[in-house]
Amino acid sequence: MTQRRRLSNTQNSPQSRQQPGTLMAQEEDDDSTFTQPSTSQVQRGLEKLTPAQVEQKTAEVVQYFLVKDQKKIPIRRADLVKHVVKDYRNIYPEIIKRAERTFDQVFGLKLVEIDTKSHSYILINKMEPVVGASIINPTNPKMGLLFVILSIIFMKGGLVRENLIWSTLKKLRVDPGEKHEEFGDVRKVVTDEFVRQRYLEYVRIPHTEPVEHEFRWGQRADKEVSKAKILEFMGQLHEQDPQSWSQQYREAHSTPSSSQASTSSQR
Amino acid sequence: MSRQMGDSHRRFLQTMMVSGIVDEQEARTLYKHCCETHNTQCAPDKLDDFIDTINSKLQPMFMQIRKGMSEDSGQQYYALVNMSETEVTRMSSDYADNELELFRKTIELIMGAENGKASSTDILNSVDSMTTKKMKKSETEHLLNRLVHDKWLCEKRGEYTLSTRCIIEMEPYIREMYQDQVKVCHICHNIAFQCQICENPTCGIKIHNPCVARYFQGRAEPRCPACDDFWPHEIPEVRRPQSQSRR
Amino acid sequence: MSDSPLIRTSGDNEAPRQNGYAGRGRGEQQQNDGDDGDGAFGPADLQDDEGDPSLRREIRSKYRDLINSVQQNREDMLSPSNNKLTEVLEQANKLFKDVRQAREAALDAQLLVVATDLGKEKASQLFVEGTAFDPTAFAEHLLSFMGLNRLEDGEDADAWHRVARKAECCFSTAPSFHYMMGSFHAEPPPPKQRIERQRKAPTKEAKRIMPTQLKKMEESHQEATEKEVERVLGHLKRYYQDDPESPIYYYEFVIDPNSFSRTVENIFHTSFLIRDGWARMYLDSAKLPCIAPVEEGEVEAGGSTSRKQCIISISPKTWKELIDAFDIRDAMIHPNTQH
Repeated sequence: MTQRRRLSNTQNSPQSRQQPGTLMAQEEDDDSTFTQPSTSQVQRGLEKLTPAQVEQKTAEVVQYFLVKDQKKIPIRRADLVKHVVKDYRNIYPEIIKRAERTFDQVFGLKLVEIDTKSHSYILINKMEPVVGASIINPTNPKMGLLFVILSIIFMKGGLVRENLIWSTLKKLRVDPGEKHEEFGDVRKVVTDEFVRQRYLEYVRIPHTEPVEHEFRWGQRADKEVSKAKILEFMGQLHEQDPQSWSQQYREAHSTPSSSQASTSSQR
Repeated sequence: MSRQMGDSHRRFLQTMMVSGIVDEQEARTLYKHCCETHNTQCAPDKLDDFIDTINSKLQPMFMQIRKGMSEDSGQQYYALVNMSETEVTRMSSDYADNELELFRKTIELIMGAENGKASSTDILNSVDSMTTKKMKKSETEHLLNRLVHDKWLCEKRGEYTLSTRCIIEMEPYIREMYQDQVKVCHICHNIAFQCQICENPTCGIKIHNPCVARYFQGRAEPRCPACDDFWPHEIPEVRRPQSQSRR
Repeated sequence: MSDSPLIRTSGDNEAPRQNGYAGRGRGEQQQNDGDDGDGAFGPADLQDDEGDPSLRREIRSKYRDLINSVQQNREDMLSPSNNKLTEVLEQANKLFKDVRQAREAALDAQLLVVATDLGKEKASQLFVEGTAFDPTAFAEHLLSFMGLNRLEDGEDADAWHRVARKAECCFSTAPSFHYMMGSFHAEPPPPKQRIERQRKAPTKEAKRIMPTQLKKMEESHQEATEKEVERVLGHLKRYYQDDPESPIYYYEFVIDPNSFSRTVENIFHTSFLIRDGWARMYLDSAKLPCIAPVEEGEVEAGGSTSRKQCIISISPKTWKELIDAFDIRDAMIHPNTQH
């Protein structure tokens, strides 16, 4: 047999960008390698850098937050330091402070640390939503789905079994077992996407056979979603005074920071 | 004019982030809306100043609200664009690597085509020469729909063109990457895909259809602005800017 | 628990959630006949000969239906606006009158566990101050808000957008920034290849004529051709199996550097492989045509999807040029020595 000659073999290996929708499992937190520098360390670090350098790094960090926020998955400090801050880690607090200022003054956004253990950040909007503002804005139907789920959880006292969510969605013609025209794999969107975005928590109920889970609000929902406004909508929907749900009303109008009050029947 | 951003600017910018692109009429409406919401002064002729203020603050992040023309209607549009390519910007997760490769191949096809269009069949066939993960036919179709939905491509009867948003944002990239293929409009000097070409072989200048309409408006015998040969193409009507949007 | 109409004995309270029958006489041996895996155990003192097997089967099946209906319709039963739970319990009471043996009793207990759990939740609603939230009513209100008619199954494309618009007022979500420029590595397009002339578009005339010509030849030499085509396919498959990673260049494959006419024959035979879906052709990153056998599983999936015609023309001159360009020294398709 004749040997075969090949002109070139430039078969590029597929690059390792993730497919949209699939996300790598949360890596082991390598945040331990990062220790928050002290004020004096920051001071010394700043002296060695020109203002332009610090500004540029800040802009990169802002850019990074914006890019990563496309998927609404919280941004971990460890990743931020590894991918962007890099050699500037000794002035990390200063850079974050400046990035916060840029978000505030240019974008009207707020950078919030949601998890002080894993140090993750999310961006939330500081501007009041304006009724009728969506003159041109397209809407994302998934937000509607999320809204319904969060409403049920809140109205049921902060904790619900998954069955309640699935059966209510079924009544709304969204079958978690079927591919939905608008949401695709509904179960995945709800128990995976919303969970990774920290809108929802989805936890297994112990000692159930078959396995059952329950839902509660995630950290992002706590920061981003107004219970008072949900209740207001409930009032409109049921043609009922929002105050008639007295427990929910009290919770919605208590201090927004401590909104975690699970009153539901825990077995 | 104050260079400091206020809430009205921030609201305008946020809406641009959500929409990506708005036409001039929408931009004016939005400008007015933002000013009214935050009780600031709104001068109808100051829209571009208003946007300049935003741009001056976006500059460090290599972002910009940029103005451009629709090749289709000749209307002005405003698009929020990214201007840099860095390690950070490449982390964008809207499209996967192979999806971006196919998008680039589509640009290649469009650049190589006389009429600035790529047929869906040609795009589907170009999948075969992909170096990243190949796509199935259904995946390719889904991607093309998404690109149209996200306002990067336009589709008409199975033929794809670059959208106004895409041209506004990608113009520098296209000029640099396709130096010897890029066509430039003789009238407005922007890059041109949908255009008329002078048939004089020694001339061959290009003019956008809307620019043709404006340039030859009211002239009895259209002649090429460069070589003065007879302009043999049909002269389109000048379209009055309307509030109905076309992207 | 003890006020439930189902309770007639007090078990030791170890009852697990499922199959939770704890019998009166403890510790007796299992008499599980295992016919449907309920895992019930049967204390001996419940056994007597009264059990009519078909009656027992019927009772069991009714119990299972009840258990199922409680589990499936849990949320409806929880609704304060109905008495379904009571109805279920009453039915169970009737059933229990005929229960004589442990397996049926176990099912009774299982139903009890499920029902108690539900009853507890239902009761907890009564203690809520103010109005209780009723998800069923909520869903109905929401359906009409979405513009979906309860009776029709039709989809309204706008339905979820309507909810989403409402949601936007309750969410302070940050808008996100999307762009195309900068999301991929800017690299100039691949340079145009020298072997350009091969890609010259055939005239419409040629396109129309070629396929009919092929057909005629195919008819006259059908058998011989078929054999040859198979032989060529055999070659192609072997080369591919030797090294599936590297592309097989079409011209390397078909060109016989020692014979122009054999080259033409090879091109001809290879065209059948393509037409019949045994092999596919594609352009590699440098726009060079490559050929590969279609694997078994692929035939159906990719067979009819992207059909495309192309005409290969070759003259002795281009044949020589290709031999030089690809530096071809040997034929990949060996000349047929059998005739």
